[in-house]
Amino acid sequence: MHRVSSLQTIAIQGRFGADKGAPGVTLSVVHPLAIAMVIARNGKSKALKDALASLKSVNVLWAGPDQYYVQSAAKSEAALYTELKTKLANIASVTDQSHGRITIRISGPKARAVLAKGTPIDLYTDEFPVGKSALTQMAHVGVHITRTGKDEFTLSVFRGFSESFWEWLTSQAAEFGYQVS
Amino acid sequence: MLIPCPHCGTRPVEEFTFLGDATVTRPTSLEPSSMDAWMDYVYLRDNPRGDYTEYVHHSGGCRAWLVVKRNTDTHEVDSAVATKTMKAKT
Repeated sequence: MHRVSSLQTIAIQGRFGADKGAPGVTLSVVHPLAIAMVIARNGKSKALKDALASLKSVNVLWAGPDQYYVQSAAKSEAALYTELKTKLANIASVTDQSHGRITIRISGPKARAVLAKGTPIDLYTDEFPVGKSALTQMAHVGVHITRTGKDEFTLSVFRGFSESFWEWLTSQAAEFGYQVS
Repeated sequence: MLIPCPHCGTRPVEEFTFLGDATVTRPTSLEPSSMDAWMDYVYLRDNPRGDYTEYVHHSGGCRAWLVVKRNTDTHEVDSAVATKTMKAKT
């Protein structure tokens, strides 16, 4: 069955905000995306790290102490869940989060400036390098943030907060001009 | 006030939820004669000016429970330790 993004009718493509010059940021909804939360069993931190390192064609993102989000755009949510459940048996608890979270990609020269309005995290490249994830709040919404490039981040929020978060994010980006693609 | 979360780094107090005194010990007895001890444990709290040790939840971050030592007078924070790494009180 085809799953519809909660931002399907909200994140309308086009150019918005300040309209002079190139847009400061580009926003896009990463959809569909299979997401599983993995939490290490007691005393299995090291075993989980090793097992996650051996997985192929998935993204493993830190999501708290002994906790990780495993993401894959290529695999179906059922396939990812089943694979993890089998490979991580007795090492970690696995829950499917594909329907529970919405992931937004923000990129462009002003990406850091937009996010700095919402989070206390130091997003300077030395402090927050590519591949690093953190948990924080923006506009009172819990956000899982990952740097995916020099000027590119992904933001993951609970699906139920996605519309409110999108509204906040776009209003912060408006002064720089933003492209939704 | 900035709290040095052992998992997330230094974060502002807005990301945290405070529970209260981390030094009180839960009574083990369920006998009616221990009602005073329960009353003390559940309801009665000191409100010290100075050093204070309390349970803090990093609700806006890693969602871990911490024990934070801070000074209620100067707002200086001494330490923040994850409860998971601490020994259980007996």
